[in-house]
Amino acid sequence: MASVKIPEQKVILCGEFGVGKSSLFRRYAFNTFVASNSRQSTLGLDHINKEYTVNGKVIKLQLWDTGGMERVASITSSYYKFAEAAILVFALDNPASFHVLSQHLLDIVTYAENAKIFLCGNKLDLVGQVPQVTDADMENFCEQCHNLISATFRTSCKSGEGVEQMFAEIARHLVNANRSRMELQTVDKNSFKVTPPEDPTEEPACLC
Amino acid sequence: MDEEYDAIVLGTGLKECILSGMLSVSGKKVLHIDRNQYYGGDCASITPLEELFKRFGAPSPDETYGRGRDWNVDLIPKFLMANGLLVKLLIHTGVTRYLEFKSVEGSYVYKGGKISKVPVDQKEALASDLMGMFEKRRFRNFLMFVQDVREDDPRTWKDLDPNTTTTQQLYNKFGIDKNTQDFTGHALALYRDDEYLNDPAVQTVRRIKLYSDSLARYGKSPYLYPMYGLGELPQGFARLSAIYGGTYMLDKPVDEIVIENGRAVGIRSGNEVARCKQVYCDPSYVVDRIKKTGRVIRCICLMDHPIPNTRDALSTQIIIPQKQVNRRSDIYVSQVSYTHQVAAKGWFIAMVSTTVETDEPEAEIKPGLDLLGPVKQKFVIVSDYFEPTDNGLESQIFISTSYDATTHFETTCLDVLDIFKRGTGEDFDFSKVKLELGEEEQ
Repeated sequence: MASVKIPEQKVILCGEFGVGKSSLFRRYAFNTFVASNSRQSTLGLDHINKEYTVNGKVIKLQLWDTGGMERVASITSSYYKFAEAAILVFALDNPASFHVLSQHLLDIVTYAENAKIFLCGNKLDLVGQVPQVTDADMENFCEQCHNLISATFRTSCKSGEGVEQMFAEIARHLVNANRSRMELQTVDKNSFKVTPPEDPTEEPACLC
Repeated sequence: MDEEYDAIVLGTGLKECILSGMLSVSGKKVLHIDRNQYYGGDCASITPLEELFKRFGAPSPDETYGRGRDWNVDLIPKFLMANGLLVKLLIHTGVTRYLEFKSVEGSYVYKGGKISKVPVDQKEALASDLMGMFEKRRFRNFLMFVQDVREDDPRTWKDLDPNTTTTQQLYNKFGIDKNTQDFTGHALALYRDDEYLNDPAVQTVRRIKLYSDSLARYGKSPYLYPMYGLGELPQGFARLSAIYGGTYMLDKPVDEIVIENGRAVGIRSGNEVARCKQVYCDPSYVVDRIKKTGRVIRCICLMDHPIPNTRDALSTQIIIPQKQVNRRSDIYVSQVSYTHQVAAKGWFIAMVSTTVETDEPEAEIKPGLDLLGPVKQKFVIVSDYFEPTDNGLESQIFISTSYDATTHFETTCLDVLDIFKRGTGEDFDFSKVKLELGEEEQ
């Protein structure tokens, strides 16, 4: 084998409408922040790759946004397929968005059962003197779901605080968890993406 | 919902999802509604297995079937032609990035009570038991003609204008016998019946080229199948639509298409009305604008072994040409397995389907069922085939036809492109799809 392709690790964002999933996506992708009053919800955001180096090993995280489908309907089950990690996002100033996470967790374990799951409290900049969702609440949640949660984070997309650290940490988890599995998988998985023909001038192979 | 849309799409079957994606990409404001709680309509892959058994009123599957969640069972069996229209649509719209595929391992044709591999190259053609020695040479000459002929270049025609001669005349010119005609027309050109013999030869030439070009793309057979089942396809196009601003609503009953002065102006669900300029839908949403023109039978067979005599292929297609079993339309057998994430480890799903010709559709598919070996569980679906009676040009209601018995998506895509053209007055412009985020990877 001449070159070994770096496998992409699909990471999906899950959580209620309006908690800042697309803002996390923008921070991750472009390190920008767009205020909610000057943008449409999630138009045009699909997925984007970024490389991380963990202990000398290169890993490519591929972050996916929901496409805003959760606004009224449910997200397609195919969104979860092939995901290696899922980030459960809620807004720290919105307890309802936190309490509904068990529903999203259920979707993840149903459709992406091998995914590592992370908990992310966003909008850290909006947290006042009395936090609406406390660290203890987050800890309780992790205990209730039998330690399915690999790590918890608090972020602010507005200031950028904690965002890069979160993705670096997720990359570290995936490298550690996948080291042996990644090698195994490439052996038995021979599915592929369809791609445009490489050379249109090339003569097609003859049937006879 | 109380907004005005350019288009409201009803039903999330594959055709409607492709249309929704194409309309959104073209800059239209789209509302996409399904009365079901799930995406895909008739094109959904049913999961878990318990849900499939419940759907057919069968007692729950026992533990030998493994985990119910490992199953994703299609209701309509089809494969993608590797160089076909659907793959072109997937590539041009970028939906391919949501999906992974496997090449179908074996392509077989039925002759005289047994099945033979459809020969894919000269070596296989020479070794094939489908033809005698002299016939093989004639067949080879025929294939070379098909490969070399250019529709617009008379020098390649060999004194036979493919635009004016019929396929029958083409066969006669090369001295192709009835048996070879049978597998050429049905297993390579993928015609459903023998009407094509009297149509211009150019159509047959195009179809055989599609087969061989598809074969050239990924090997073993010209067919592809998506991981996790065909239900992933409508979902992929739904995501495309959503990314371009389409709004999705599931589990939403549609009570009425609101008509003013003979034109659709919206839809009503309970007390809510969403207004629009156009409606696109599947036949089930407009019972008064469709007619039944036939029936299709599809039989889902769950098995713990591959189809016999296919070299244990994990995915297979078998075509039974109509004449071989004294019918007017072909019988199709397709098989996928646990390697496609559609069944629990060690399990296989075979589907036998055909256009219904008699009052006993189940008896019609017997030649197909006889090829399968022991079947653990069988579900039969006989569905009506509907065509629209309204072309939408006046009413602005654009209705898709039901899914036919063909084993691939070519007719599906032709219907979609035709509807898009009627609805928008223009051919779909593939260049409108911008390069997406994340696509500039090396």
